[in-house]
Amino acid sequence: MNAIDPAIHVAAANIRLDGVTKSYGKMPIIPNLDVEFRAGEFTVVLGPSGCGKSTLMQMIAGLERVSGGRIVIDGREVQELEPKERGCAMVFQNYALYPHMTVFDNIAYSLKIAGMTKAERRVRVELVAKMLGLTEYLGRKPSQLSGGQRQRVAIGRAIVREPSVLLFDEPLSNLDAQLRHDTRVELAELHRRIGATTVFVTHDQVEAMTLADRILILNKGEIEQYDTPKAIYHNPASVFVARFIGSPPMNILPVSGDGTVLRLSDGQAVAECRLKGSFQLGIRPEDIAVYTTANASALRADVRYHEDLGSHSILAADLSGTMVRITTPFGSQAPDSNVLLLSCPQQRLHLFDAVTGKAIAGAFTAATKEKK
Amino acid sequence: MVENARSINIVASLILIMGVIFIFGPLYLTLATASHSYEFMLQNGLTWSFGGNLIANFKRIFTETSIPMQMVNSLIVAVGNAVAGCVLSFLSAYAIVYFRVRWASIVFALILATVILPLDMRFVTTYQVASNIFSPLNAVLDATGLNDAVAGLFGAPFHAEWSILNTHLGLVVPLLAHGMGTFLFRQFFLTLPKDLFKAARMDGAGPIRFLVDILLPLSRTTFASLFVLTFLSGWTQYLWPLVASSTAEMQTAVVGLARLVPDEGAVPDYPLIMAGAILVSIIPLTMIALLQRYLVQGLVLSEK
Repeated sequence: MNAIDPAIHVAAANIRLDGVTKSYGKMPIIPNLDVEFRAGEFTVVLGPSGCGKSTLMQMIAGLERVSGGRIVIDGREVQELEPKERGCAMVFQNYALYPHMTVFDNIAYSLKIAGMTKAERRVRVELVAKMLGLTEYLGRKPSQLSGGQRQRVAIGRAIVREPSVLLFDEPLSNLDAQLRHDTRVELAELHRRIGATTVFVTHDQVEAMTLADRILILNKGEIEQYDTPKAIYHNPASVFVARFIGSPPMNILPVSGDGTVLRLSDGQAVAECRLKGSFQLGIRPEDIAVYTTANASALRADVRYHEDLGSHSILAADLSGTMVRITTPFGSQAPDSNVLLLSCPQQRLHLFDAVTGKAIAGAFTAATKEKK
Repeated sequence: MVENARSINIVASLILIMGVIFIFGPLYLTLATASHSYEFMLQNGLTWSFGGNLIANFKRIFTETSIPMQMVNSLIVAVGNAVAGCVLSFLSAYAIVYFRVRWASIVFALILATVILPLDMRFVTTYQVASNIFSPLNAVLDATGLNDAVAGLFGAPFHAEWSILNTHLGLVVPLLAHGMGTFLFRQFFLTLPKDLFKAARMDGAGPIRFLVDILLPLSRTTFASLFVLTFLSGWTQYLWPLVASSTAEMQTAVVGLARLVPDEGAVPDYPLIMAGAILVSIIPLTMIALLQRYLVQGLVLSEK
């Protein structure tokens, strides 16, 4: 394995988008985007469908024109260049293999267009095929392959040109769960070995969390947050991000602050805080603790249902009119009574603006510091 | 619901046999009549029995009529119609499906409109244009007053004339204005993976390269279907060739066959005509026999 590393390893390029805009007719898809994808990093672009993530990728690839702004790859402005001049390769959601060509020809097609001799093409294709475990399928047509094999041919077709930028457009969405998991692991391995700057579009948060060096979360064409998976999980920048990442998603509760404590709509005090006004309070399902013994300071909630998943169970409870989900580690043990006693540790709470949904930094740290 | 009762089978078979008789009866009569001499036919009328004059009648077609040469005309019209039709349809469907053409849907609707406005309905105007294909241009120049300006500048108004009546070109071109092929290719292109074009662009293939390397090989069967359909329609055209060709050398075989019937009241030489009909049918029959598979595919596609 290691012996072939230098042959396919590429010089990664960084990608910078400067004030990129895109609209179809009068409908703006991307209002204004400034972002940099660092050389050699695996960046996952995550967002709900229609958020402009595929458009963003196609603009980098050169399949869509930008309406305004600049795209700079490796210090070179490329927004007016044809796709082949940008040094990008792309893997499509439905693979888009050429149905009438063999696997070999599919992979070799770009090399053929680039004017490479037959002998050179053979060497390169065989190298890639060996890397992806496709050697014995080179003579087959795409229709004779399974979904996972087609996927690998599509990847082979992309990496055979040794692109400095690799683009993936929801490549795993057509695979079944097991294959998706395996391919995810292979992709991570592949990225480590090839080293190309990778941009991966998906709406699947698991893919994003496991593959990414950095996640770019888009909503309606604008950046919600651009950070490492860990940071995004632990410090979501907005309610949108908080809800989008994590399964079950973060619980969001309306609270009001009177300058000393935050209260739920039914008057129960959740946390100390010096801020006044209406806010949205977020807490992850796994951060909520359940008391098994009576506790005066605990929050009271009514249990609605209980899902046992073996490794953990999920409790859904009504907390002051909002349904909250709680991940509990104690397996199959359902609570005895209908009333649940909860506590939300202050350091695990997230506070968001009631209107904009943006995170309010340091809302609780200030309070705790003062207490000391 | 598929019934398998014996009585239904018998009734179905009877209906099928009647259909076969209905179709093969006239064909048999054609063959039988072609095997008699003119004199025998005058005495006995049309008979169901066979005579010994089939070969002699074929020989007469070659020696006494223009049918052989007219069959060459038919071949030129049919092949011309098929080849040009395929190429034009392929290219127009390519433009409509794969490029963001302004007003693409309107263009496609106009192309499809030709299906409900066949040549037979546009006969008079088509004839006018064929008699001088510059006549629309002349009319536009006159109507817009541009010709007055031209006359002022050069001393005479612009007026061009080129008649394509009684030429092979004139026989073929009006038949090409038909949207069926474009529709056929469009439907086929829409069944292909959507990202194929993008994938080819990423691989460095331009639009022409994509057309030649990817689309053309994939479209082979659609080409074959459309070729058979348009060839047959070109070969069996009657009205337009009748009007557009004025000499026997330019007429197609189908027109030539009809011309074998004398204008006056004399009894037509049916054995000769029937022999000619058999000869004229041989080429499309062979075509159907060889390319039946594609013909069916084409018919199925065009009905969708």
